[in-house]
Amino acid sequence: MPNLPTPQERDAALSAFAATRTGREKPSQYWKIDLETLMPNASLDGAAGEVTIESASSRAIAVDLQTGARDHAALFERAFRRAIEPQHKFAHLALANARLGAFIYIPADCALDEPIVVRYRAAEGETIFPYTVVLAERGARATIIERLELGSAALACGVTEIVTEESADITYASAQFAPQDARVIFTRVARPGRDARVAWASAELGASLSLTELVITIEEPGVDAKIATLFFPTGSQHVDIVSSVDHRIGDATSETLVKSAAAGRGQGRYLGNIRIAAHAQHSDASLRDDALLLSQTAHIDSIPALEIAANDVKAYHGATVGALDDESIFYMTSRGIDREAAERMIALGFFEPAIDRFPTEALREELRTALQAKVTS
Amino acid sequence: MSDQGLRVAGLRASVEGNEILKGIDLAVEPGKVHALMGPNGSGKSTLAFSLAGHPHYDVTAGSAVLDGEDLLTLAPDKRARAGLFLSFQYPAAIPGVKVPNFLYAARQAVRPGELTPGKFRTLLLEKMDVLGMDPSFLGRYLNDGFSGGEKKRLEMLQMAVLAPKYAVLDETDSGLDVDALQDVGDTIQALRASDEGKSTGFLIITHYPRILQHITPDVVHVMIDGRIVKTGGPDLAQRIEREGYDTLREETGALA
Repeated sequence: MPNLPTPQERDAALSAFAATRTGREKPSQYWKIDLETLMPNASLDGAAGEVTIESASSRAIAVDLQTGARDHAALFERAFRRAIEPQHKFAHLALANARLGAFIYIPADCALDEPIVVRYRAAEGETIFPYTVVLAERGARATIIERLELGSAALACGVTEIVTEESADITYASAQFAPQDARVIFTRVARPGRDARVAWASAELGASLSLTELVITIEEPGVDAKIATLFFPTGSQHVDIVSSVDHRIGDATSETLVKSAAAGRGQGRYLGNIRIAAHAQHSDASLRDDALLLSQTAHIDSIPALEIAANDVKAYHGATVGALDDESIFYMTSRGIDREAAERMIALGFFEPAIDRFPTEALREELRTALQAKVTS
Repeated sequence: MSDQGLRVAGLRASVEGNEILKGIDLAVEPGKVHALMGPNGSGKSTLAFSLAGHPHYDVTAGSAVLDGEDLLTLAPDKRARAGLFLSFQYPAAIPGVKVPNFLYAARQAVRPGELTPGKFRTLLLEKMDVLGMDPSFLGRYLNDGFSGGEKKRLEMLQMAVLAPKYAVLDETDSGLDVDALQDVGDTIQALRASDEGKSTGFLIITHYPRILQHITPDVVHVMIDGRIVKTGGPDLAQRIEREGYDTLREETGALA
């Protein structure tokens, strides 16, 4: 397996992991976890976990990571380690342990109607490092759904890399409903080609700690970049999401949509980075971020960070944080709907624009059901 | 039966400590149409919200009874289930809640278990047709991005679907063009002609008499400064059309 880390590369990646800082805020009154010192203490031999990949296509390649690295080395190399960058702290850790994973290759002009589904499994207490590599050639179109099935107290620390050529169209959706004592850490980075469309959709509903970084690096014009994420910490869950859209070249569009709620003693943090480089004229970037607080002890910190160095761009940012609207509740109850049901409908409706970004009605229904259970609990 | 009707007696209500309603008495009998007219700021909307149970309005005295049931002790949803409907002047926009899902939940709450979702959809499309509403409304979120006229039509659709015992229409006519006003009038007539709505009583709150060209009231009340200063027949509305509220204000000695 020439492409997967050699012992030397593994040591280098582990050193880089130790040396890299996330730059995220420190623990506070609400947030109790220091990401800089967070070191998964489970066995790191990388043997754990299982992956199954469902693909209905005969033209696409959808295989486990090691098969991809071995049997499709030339293709594999075009995407593996091509999207992640040194600042992605937890990607170093996943890379050091990269054995479990998936390689997906969509050849030129191949359009898949059925989503490819990648399922990662970890048994109770296991640590897994799921590494997904996606290469889409010119004009290829596909939807990939990642499912995480974790046992109690399991830890997943994974990476997704998407590299596309010109005019490709890739949607990658992940929805995790991990057990309340599991931990989930993902770094997902996409590098679309000219005129390509890339969409991340992520839902963080389970786990005690969920740490996700969603990145789209724009280095070609005409890119249409989309990020949608929803999260809902309840009980004592902590969710930390970073989205970064880096307009390194102009004439590209990005749209980031974040819908979050917190209840119980749930803690959420969101950092929304939009960077537009000085020469990236005619960039069009929007960031919409709404947070709903459903209890006095829940907390969501939402921090937009717009760094705009170009002068001829469109950049939109809108954010709200608040409780359920009294007028909306009164309106619904005045139609005979009881208060609890009205609150549930309004809270679910709040997430709907983000749910809408997920592929397949079955997945959207699963999200609605999980959200409803959280609103009701 | 003597306890039939929407009966309001001696009703006083305040908003943030300011008394707006200073003793309202009126009774809408089943199947009757009452118009409540008055200048801006006279307290008409306060009466509507107080009847519906809006939490910002404090009822300090008096009673409001619907077919024998004391409304004032009930939460807003229970008032609706007792048979009261309020058409809002400014209905809330609720993104993410689809119109048919909301209407079905409301219908099931007010009239439990009468309709399957399939039959409900048929009923909905039928009522939408009367209102000249495009079926694409069914794919939209509740009042989200609706124009003023679309919001009013949706209020009327809700009234048609819920077929309440008593409907309070708070300035449903304001901001509507002639065609939309005609559709509102048709919806009220269609409800009155239906089995479900033949005994519905209406309290139509309006600033202008023009909606009353589309639906003839049995009784007209004029409210000025938190009191009903005059009650009469349809001719009272015609008089307001000619003279405005000023002569009535002087004649009844209401505070300017």
